[in-house]
Amino acid sequence: MDIISQLQEQVNQIAGLTFNTFGTLQRDAPSARLSQNYPEPPPNPTEDAASFPEQPKQMSAALVKAAKQFDALVAALPLSEGGEEAQLKRIAELQAENDAVGQELQRQLEAAGKFFNFSDCCLMCCMCSDTSYNTCPASK
Amino acid sequence: MATATFPPPPPFYRLYKDYIENPKSAPEPPPPIEGTYVCFASSYTTDDVLPSLEEQGVRQLYPKGPNVDFKKELRSLNRELQLHILELADVLVERPSQYARRVEDISLIFKNLHHLLNSLRPHQARATLIHILELQIQRRKQAVEDIKRQREEAQKLLKEALGTLAGQ
Repeated sequence: MDIISQLQEQVNQIAGLTFNTFGTLQRDAPSARLSQNYPEPPPNPTEDAASFPEQPKQMSAALVKAAKQFDALVAALPLSEGGEEAQLKRIAELQAENDAVGQELQRQLEAAGKFFNFSDCCLMCCMCSDTSYNTCPASK
Repeated sequence: MATATFPPPPPFYRLYKDYIENPKSAPEPPPPIEGTYVCFASSYTTDDVLPSLEEQGVRQLYPKGPNVDFKKELRSLNRELQLHILELADVLVERPSQYARRVEDISLIFKNLHHLLNSLRPHQARATLIHILELQIQRRKQAVEDIKRQREEAQKLLKEALGTLAGQ
């Protein structure tokens, strides 16, 4: 996948991790005591309490890792020096060079085509019984 | 029991009855559309340009100007994003009813991030074009060299053959 799409995917992943983090913590948080007037909250079931202190740490570690990955991708961006005009100028140069090379190629192809016709004629001469090589166009 | 039938084709086909004899008796195809057009009750534009953030009603966080330093802005937006996430976590702990403003800020940062990345796409397109042109030039030069070499070889072979024949 190209680098810009990877960056876009990374941004979306950071967003996903963010809302998953907050959503999970809000959903699974044990009841908190609001004020001294209210009685103690009921104790949490043991299944939550086991993995619970780990969850914020793991999730925030994942967030930080995703952010670092984003920075690494940004550093890997192959942005060339100068903006649009430099690129357009380079494209114009390359187009001119491409045209020149294309014409050269066309010339070579035509010459090769003519040569192919000549060599056909020579083969015909060899196969026919005309032994006067003065009329052969290839012997020059 | 399906009672829905497809809508009939548009009746314009009758206008082309004599097309084979006289191509000019039938109407020309419609010219290409320019500007905006309406299709199935939503309007589209033929001008494929990325609308700027102001047009979408979103505040732009990175400095405007002709040449934006993409890497620097992307990195600073990333840091801002992380700070805002931490802020949201704090707000949820202390003043939970004030989350809305923070969430808005975070979504604003995301919109700016995506807009920056989208505005990198034309640059990528031009870079791809440059790369393709360079490859094509290289291939053409290689072809020219090959043809030249083969021609010279073939010419040499023919001369040799003629020489052998003439020597007999």
